[in-house]
Amino acid sequence: MDTVIQQLFNAAQLGAVYALIALGYSMVYGIIRLINFAHGDIFMLGGFIGLLLTTHLGWLPFYLMMPLAMLLTALAGVAIERVAYRRLRHAQRMSVVITTLGVGIFLENLVRLTVGPETRQLPARLPTAPVLWLQNTLGAFVTWDKLLIILLSLALMAILWLVINKTLVGTAMRAVADNKDVVPLMGVNLNLIIAATFAIGSALAAAGGIFYGQAYSIDPYMGIDLGWKAFIAAVIGGIGSIEGAVLGSFLLAGVEVLTVAYLSSNLKNGIAFGLLILLLLVWPSGIMGKPMLKKV
Amino acid sequence: MNLRLLALLPLLVLAGCKPTAQELKIGVSAPMTGDISAIGQSTKNAIAIAQEEINAGGGIKVGDKLVKVRFVIEDDENKPESTATVFQKLINQDKVLAIIGSQTSKCSNAGAPIAEAAGIPQVTPWSTNPNVTKGRKFIFRACFIDPFQGRVVAQFATEKLKAKTAAVVYDVASDYNKGIAEVFRDEFTKMGGKIVGFETYNTKDTDFSAQFTKIKGGKPDVIFLPNYFNEVPLQIQQARKLGITATMLGGDGWDNPELVKLGGAVMNGAYFSNHYSPDIDNPIAKAFIATYQTRFKIVPDAAAALTYDCAQLLFKAMATAGKADSRAIREALAVTKGFQGVTGGITYAGSGDPVKGAVVIKVENGKFVFDSAVNP
Repeated sequence: MDTVIQQLFNAAQLGAVYALIALGYSMVYGIIRLINFAHGDIFMLGGFIGLLLTTHLGWLPFYLMMPLAMLLTALAGVAIERVAYRRLRHAQRMSVVITTLGVGIFLENLVRLTVGPETRQLPARLPTAPVLWLQNTLGAFVTWDKLLIILLSLALMAILWLVINKTLVGTAMRAVADNKDVVPLMGVNLNLIIAATFAIGSALAAAGGIFYGQAYSIDPYMGIDLGWKAFIAAVIGGIGSIEGAVLGSFLLAGVEVLTVAYLSSNLKNGIAFGLLILLLLVWPSGIMGKPMLKKV
Repeated sequence: MNLRLLALLPLLVLAGCKPTAQELKIGVSAPMTGDISAIGQSTKNAIAIAQEEINAGGGIKVGDKLVKVRFVIEDDENKPESTATVFQKLINQDKVLAIIGSQTSKCSNAGAPIAEAAGIPQVTPWSTNPNVTKGRKFIFRACFIDPFQGRVVAQFATEKLKAKTAAVVYDVASDYNKGIAEVFRDEFTKMGGKIVGFETYNTKDTDFSAQFTKIKGGKPDVIFLPNYFNEVPLQIQQARKLGITATMLGGDGWDNPELVKLGGAVMNGAYFSNHYSPDIDNPIAKAFIATYQTRFKIVPDAAAALTYDCAQLLFKAMATAGKADSRAIREALAVTKGFQGVTGGITYAGSGDPVKGAVVIKVENGKFVFDSAVNP
């Protein structure tokens, strides 16, 4: 019985990281209908910025290191949008998608050349002792860092929800998502709103990268596989929907972990993705997605 | 016909001629980049020493004169598909006489059919999967094979650690990991132990917590992780964070300084089987380790020691053959008897697999310490 609860914590931790990445995919898609395939590599970049900050500025406490890494990654995200995507905003869809793939490959090789190809871990800055209360009441062996990663991720998602629903920037974002041709006529600075979306998405991905480096490990190519997983989670939840991205992520992680726990680790990806295909057959635009209307 | 093209004709004639050997070219296929690039670095270091040493003496005697040796190192990225390309390039473009490599079994297995078809002898330093040489005439290796290694670890677990229950977590997408995991399972059961968990993952997975949580229920005495040094520390760390206290065991894939660099204290108290130990009392090994340490400031891992042995095996075969001919080198290599290398003696008797012993190494305070030796 104790392992069931432990497995649920495993799934929650993995799902939290998927969600932090998936949100970026979903937000950017919601605003400019662009699938930013470099987003997985932004997540990787965030993890490595976190690594460089912890190793070179060792005195920086975690609660300062993390916002700083998020800020730097946000700047990188905005810079990429400005340099690589903005000029292509009215180009063919295919040109932009290819550009995002190119940016991803550029980032992977940039990190490989400057930091090196080895697998690394972020020095442990979160306590790794087991949470005694959980051990005594539920019999589940869960370490503090796992619990903190889950809670901090949920807190970031709550902040995002507040920003989108309660602030002016958030209102503008939702308006742009609704109609990006008319909203600028109302005096909204479109470029600024798009830059803000990239900044928020990249900052969340950086948080995911740092958590991932604490819980698991980071390497220059990790963004490829995890990026795909998060992208799929976003599609399952309904791409363009914030709540959907979170829901899809926890669902994917849950199915993955429970397949290993109760069926077979050999079948992990097969069963996880088989189930997701079935879900998409029932909800073609994702669980919380809106059917796309073609504007004439 | 264009006159300028005509002027090129003599060159074509020259290219068609069999060149009088001015250098003996040996190809090397190694993972210079990618997930285990540290092994590529070890390969390159060992090759550099071997090349310098042989050429300092003038080279190898071919016919009646000494000819220098030149190595051509190519990056196979630890990917089977890239290894196939590297082998084709080494054979068709560089016209090498023999190939050293690759390091991992999955890559050597991808290159072997190409070397076999071209009649180029291939000696792999570190590929322990039996299939690499099976049914092939031109493929040799300097290391023991997995059935032996799996048995060594199973025996160590039951006899020395008195383990009654064991669990295995391995990468199902890699020939090496899968092969040794299955042998361990069978041997451990045969020796009276019980396997309480046999879990898999896929190359590049980084979250193993679901597998370990599942294993935890079976309360194993030991956990066998026949995976590579870049993943093992993360696996052990995740297992410890889930409250698992079992002794961790591994195979030769653990042997690289990165293991303790990445894992730190979490690696202490773990054991793995290996090809050699730097502590071992062998004059050839001592000389090699001393040269390697002065030059590269680190102790050579098994991949480096085995690569050096591969080069020496080829030098010896070339000298015996006495000509720059791949088939003659293969014939000389196949009858190698009583060769003494850094990792011990090598004799080929009818196949490309040498009969060799293994050592068990313990990780203590971030150092690899010799624990025991096992002979076949």
